Amino acid sequence: MKMPTRYILTGMVIFVVGLPFCQLLIWSFSDRWFYPGLLPQAWGLRAWQYIFGTAGNQIIFAVFQSVAVGAATAGIALVVGFPAGRALGLYAFRGKDLISVLLTLPVIVPPLCVAMGLHLWFIRLGLTETFIGVVLVHLTFCLPYAVFVMWGVFSNYNPDFEDQARSLGADTARVILRIMLPMTLPGIVVASLFSFLLSWSQYLATLIIGGGKITTLPVILFALMASGDRPVAAAVSIVFVVPAFLALLLSARYLGRKSMAGVW
Amino acid sequence: MGELLLKNISIRYGRQSVIDDFDLRVADGEMVSILGPSGAGKTTILKAVAGLIEPAAGEIWLDGRLINAIPPEKRNTVMVFQKPLLFPFLNVSQNVGFGLRMHGLAASEVNGKVQNILELTQLSGLEHRKVHELSGGQQQRVSLARALVLKPALLLLDEPLSNLDANLRHQMRELICKIQEKTGITTLFVTHDQTEALVMSHRVTLLLDGRLRQVGTPQELYYEPIDKVVARFFGGVNFFDGRFRNGCFRTVFGDFTLPKVAGNGHPMTATIRPEDILISTVNEFDLEGRVERTHFEGMATRVWVSCRGRRLEVLAGRGEYYPGQAIRLRLPSDRLRVFPPEEN
Repeated sequence: MKMPTRYILTGMVIFVVGLPFCQLLIWSFSDRWFYPGLLPQAWGLRAWQYIFGTAGNQIIFAVFQSVAVGAATAGIALVVGFPAGRALGLYAFRGKDLISVLLTLPVIVPPLCVAMGLHLWFIRLGLTETFIGVVLVHLTFCLPYAVFVMWGVFSNYNPDFEDQARSLGADTARVILRIMLPMTLPGIVVASLFSFLLSWSQYLATLIIGGGKITTLPVILFALMASGDRPVAAAVSIVFVVPAFLALLLSARYLGRKSMAGVW
Repeated sequence: MGELLLKNISIRYGRQSVIDDFDLRVADGEMVSILGPSGAGKTTILKAVAGLIEPAAGEIWLDGRLINAIPPEKRNTVMVFQKPLLFPFLNVSQNVGFGLRMHGLAASEVNGKVQNILELTQLSGLEHRKVHELSGGQQQRVSLARALVLKPALLLLDEPLSNLDANLRHQMRELICKIQEKTGITTLFVTHDQTEALVMSHRVTLLLDGRLRQVGTPQELYYEPIDKVVARFFGGVNFFDGRFRNGCFRTVFGDFTLPKVAGNGHPMTATIRPEDILISTVNEFDLEGRVERTHFEGMATRVWVSCRGRRLEVLAGRGEYYPGQAIRLRLPSDRLRVFPPEEN
């Protein structure tokens, strides 16, 4: 790509992604901001003081809750998605198309329907208002993504590498740890990240299954938004975006390593 | 040591039989090739020996030990695949040392051995290169070094030269032969290239349609094919029928006195290699013929000759041949190879 084009594109991305953030930042530091003022009439730290002071414990707890739910969801999605993706990507078997359709269903059916339907079952099984219940309902959305990502990874994966390692003296455990995992690492990172971020941003399903007991960050955020306190909602939004943004930045170095895609 | 014995090996993929009743003995220090067209099941045999595929029937013995039930990592065999399959997240020396580390060798010992083998395979100086920074030839040499460094009882090469261009292939061929001679590692290698098999191996095994057709030295397979199919595989094009009568093999091209007489009275098929037919533009031979067309191939000229209603292909040395030219041929009896006609 030519340099000027590259600069223009980078500028456009920063503009499109950065502008809403500027808006949020300004809102979070404003005390009063009424139409038609281009900038707030009064600046202040009230929103941030509320977050770290008055509602500090509640928000910190919500962040932990969100991280815990997200990590558990991503972990389980990966543990199930990895072998499933391998089977779908490497082997031909009957019912492969059916599995593909079934996997797509939770993605195309509106989350409200899925959550409402599952709610009845979860009540019977005693899973409502529990951590496990929320993780399970998040998995209905995250697992298909994890399986699809790993399916794609294994479709381009050459299992001969494993045979080669085995022939060179690696036992099954070492083949998995030394060959399969490093070769599929970018896929693993993407699948985990997708699952984590999807779970991180779930509101409706968490609210229905969690019943207000499992208060993740989006649940708090929506409550604050509904209260009409825009500066506080803006500050919570920033708190909401930052961990996800950091996770993306940290994983970017793995995503860039094309040489490890195992496609040879 | 590295004596391999394959007894009645049969391999199936699902219900389809790929290899049927395959027997082979590879002596210690010997280099044997399995030659055959694509899809003949050559690689399958190699994978079975390496332990990567389980044969449906038969026994695999290595150094007097039945190894059917032994997992690939404990077989003391190493397979080099058609593609170099270098681990992309390791550099050259790490790739070469991979097997040694898997066998639990100390880092210092690994380094020493890796250095030695890199020198032997002419890769010194490339230790810290990333895999994608290597050329195709270098990658294949690293792959070979990675296998050789383990000093396996049996080295299995699966068409390691097929992805290289002609020049590199020639160099690698020389290198493999040199290293095999130096290390004496028993080597079983698979190829579809008959020149490669003839040049590199002590013995050649011809595999067609999952069945062993002939085993022997390169000369035996080339000059003494046991049937028409083998002869045709090695470039045999001149086939004609005849019958043995009273110690003579009678054909349309005349009677031939052959040392071995078998199947007296029965129809037989004879073949003669194009380079074994003598051709002359003067009247020194008794068979008359007429040139149909010619094809200059550099080292020789291929001449298609019609002779007694048949067509013979002759490889002639330097000389001028042109369509319509009257020439004389001679088919030396000692170059004739006779076998029962093809079963249909």
